[in-house]
Amino acid sequence: MTMQSRSDSPALPQRRPFAKRLLDGLKPSRLTVPTFLLAWSFLVIAPLVVIVLFSFLQVKAYRVVYTPSLDTWISLIDSGRWMAAVRTLRIGITMTIIEFVLAFPFALWLAKGCRSKTVKAMIITLLTIPFFLDAASRIIVWRSILGQTGAVNTALMSLGITDAPIDWLLYSEFAVHFGLLGTHFPTMVFPIFMSIALIDDDYIQASQDLGGGPAQTLFNIIIPMALPGIVAGIVFTLVPLMAAFVEPQLLGGGFVDLLGNSVNSALQQLKYPTAAALSTVVVALLGICLAVLVLVTRRRYDMASMFVAIRR
Amino acid sequence: MEHDKIGANGLPMSRRGFMESVLSVTALGAAASVLPGLSQQAWAAGLPVKGYGVTTAQPKDWSRVTQSIGIQVDYTPTNADIGVFMRDVMGNDLTSTHDVFIFDGGTEDLLGPEGYYAEIDENHPELKLWARTPDSWKRSSFLRADDKQYAVPVIGNGDAFGYFPAAIDANPNGLDEVPWTTFFEGENVKGRVAIDRSWLQSMAETANYLKHHGRITVEDPADLPAEQARQVADYLVERKRAGQFRTIFTAFEEQVQLLSNKEVAMINCWEPATKEANNALGPNSVIYAFTVEGYYLWGHGACVAAAAMDRGNVDNIYKLLNYFLDGEYRAFQAKERGYAGPNMDLGVQYAIDHGWSKEDIDGLKWAEEKVRRKFQKPFFCKVVPEHADVMEEEWQRFLNA
Repeated sequence: MTMQSRSDSPALPQRRPFAKRLLDGLKPSRLTVPTFLLAWSFLVIAPLVVIVLFSFLQVKAYRVVYTPSLDTWISLIDSGRWMAAVRTLRIGITMTIIEFVLAFPFALWLAKGCRSKTVKAMIITLLTIPFFLDAASRIIVWRSILGQTGAVNTALMSLGITDAPIDWLLYSEFAVHFGLLGTHFPTMVFPIFMSIALIDDDYIQASQDLGGGPAQTLFNIIIPMALPGIVAGIVFTLVPLMAAFVEPQLLGGGFVDLLGNSVNSALQQLKYPTAAALSTVVVALLGICLAVLVLVTRRRYDMASMFVAIRR
Repeated sequence: MEHDKIGANGLPMSRRGFMESVLSVTALGAAASVLPGLSQQAWAAGLPVKGYGVTTAQPKDWSRVTQSIGIQVDYTPTNADIGVFMRDVMGNDLTSTHDVFIFDGGTEDLLGPEGYYAEIDENHPELKLWARTPDSWKRSSFLRADDKQYAVPVIGNGDAFGYFPAAIDANPNGLDEVPWTTFFEGENVKGRVAIDRSWLQSMAETANYLKHHGRITVEDPADLPAEQARQVADYLVERKRAGQFRTIFTAFEEQVQLLSNKEVAMINCWEPATKEANNALGPNSVIYAFTVEGYYLWGHGACVAAAAMDRGNVDNIYKLLNYFLDGEYRAFQAKERGYAGPNMDLGVQYAIDHGWSKEDIDGLKWAEEKVRRKFQKPFFCKVVPEHADVMEEEWQRFLNA
C-alpha cells in the first residue's frame, strides 16, 4: 500500500546540486563572452594601443622623448625598414603556401591512409620535436651542412656534380625558406590532420559508392569538411612567420632581414618607438591577411563554426 | 613517540635541536656585531663582487681570481651591444644589484654625469697599483667624463680584420700591412668577406677607410653626421650589391665558426676569434691584420656602480679593480686573447715568476709591442656617438638593401 501510494504520487522535480546549477547558469552569452572580451582587452588590446601610441614618440641619446611626432614613421621609410615589411609579407605568404601544399597531402595520408596506430603515434611524436627544441640550436646545425665547406657541397663536389661550392645554399633566401620549412610544418599539419581525422569514413565511402572519383571526393567532401582545420593551419603558420627572426638571422646571414630582425635590432638600440611602429606594421599586415582569408573563404565556410562549441 | 628526522650529519634532528641551532647562530651574530674592530667591512669580506659586462673582459676562469685575491666574483656576461648595455643599466637598474660594470670606454660620458657610476677613488688603499699605472692608459679619454675619473683601464686593442694569408697572397708571417681596400674591394676575396652587424664598428671602419682614401670628408670616423653617414651607407650598399660580402655576422661564436669552417677569407672580427680559429686550424692559419689605414680603437674600463658605494663591499670591489691592473690578469688576457692593457711589465714578471715558457713570455711582450705599433696609425672610436641615431638609421638602409 505504501509502495503503491509512493509510486502513484507525481514525481517531484529532482533538486540538482548547487555547483551543477551554477555551472549550468554560466551560459556563454552571459559570462564567457564578456569575460573573454574583458580579459582580451586587458591582455592584448590595451598593450596594442600603447604600442601604437608609443610609435609616435622618439628616442634621443638612448632616452625616450615624450613629444608626439611622425619622425619615427618617416624614418621607417628613410631607413628602408619598409622593405623588411614587404619582404616579410612575401616570405610569410610564400612559406604558408609551400607548407600547405606539403602539409595537406601528408595530413590526409596520416589521418586516412596510415592504418598503423604505432606509425601514426610515432609520426605525431616526431612532429612535436620543433616545439620542444630551442630554435637556434636546431637551426644553427644547418650552417655546417649548407656552408661552402659543408656536407652538401662536399658531397656534390665529391660526386662531380659541381666543380665549386654552391654559394646560395647558405646566407640566402633559399636557406631562410629551408630553415622555416621545418619549423612551421607541424603548425600546418596538426590542425588539418585533426579536421580530416574527424571526417566520418562513411562520407568518403558514400562518395565512392555514388561514383565519385578521387578528385571529386577530395574537392567536394574532404576539403569542404576540412576547411576549419585548413583555415586554422594557415592562421597558426602565417602569424608566427610574420615574427620569425631566428632562421633569417642564422641562415640569412644578414641579407634576409625580416620584421622580427628589424624589431630586435631596434630594441637593442633602445629605439622603442621604432620597435613599436614596426610591431604596428606587423599587426596591420596580419589583420589585412586574415581579413582577406575571411573574405575568400566566407562563401564556403562560416568562421563562427570554429566556435560552435561555445555557441551551444 | 617522537619521530626525529635524520640531519645532514646522520644524527636525529629534533625541533628542539633546530631551535637551539637557530638561537646559537643568532647569538653569535649579535655578539660579533658588537665586538670591537669587527666592522661591517669585515662582515662583507665574504661577499662576492657582482659584475656585469662584455665577455672579452672576463678571465677564462674566475676561480683563478678567487685563489689570487680571495674574493669571489659573480660576473654576468653580455655582448658588445651598447643598446643592450644601456637598457640593462638604466632601464633594468642593474646598479641596484651589480657592483662593477665593464664595457667599451665611452659609457661614462652618459652614465657618469647621470649618477649611475661612482667616481673612482684613486686614493683607495686597495687600489695599490693605480699610481704606477701609466697615464696613457688610466687618463685615456674613454675612461673619463667632465674631468672626472669613472673607470679603471682593463684591456684594449686596435681592431681590424682577420684573414687567411693564402687567400690574398699576403706574407704568412702576418707582419705586413694589409689595406682595407682588400677587405672592401679585393676581387680575390669577393663574396668571401664577412662584416660585423655592429654599426659602431663597421660604419666607423668604413668611414676611416673612405676618409683615408679621400672619398669622404669627416672629422671623426666614429661619429658620423647625417651626410657622412649617408655616404658611408651608400658605399656599403654598393659593395653589398657588388657581392663583396658573404655574410653579416653578429656574435663572437659566429666569428670563430666562420673562420674555422673557412666559410670566409676576411672578416672584421675581434682578435680572440683568430686565436680560437688557429686553435682549430693550426698556428698562423689566420692572421689578425696590421692595416694601412688605421684601427678601431677600444678599451674596456671597469666602472663602479654609484649604489655599490653604500653596500658595504667597497674594499672587495677595489681589490678587483686593482686585480685588473695587476700581472696575473694582464698575463692571462694577453696569452688567451691577445689583448694588451696597462702594466704589461707586471704581466711579463708574473709569467717569469710562474715558470711560463719562453714562447709564452715572448707572446706577452709581443702583445704590448703589437698595440704600440697599431697606435702609430690613425685610430678612432666612440661608443656613444652624438650622431648615433642617424648612424643606426643609415645602417638599417645597408641591412635592408
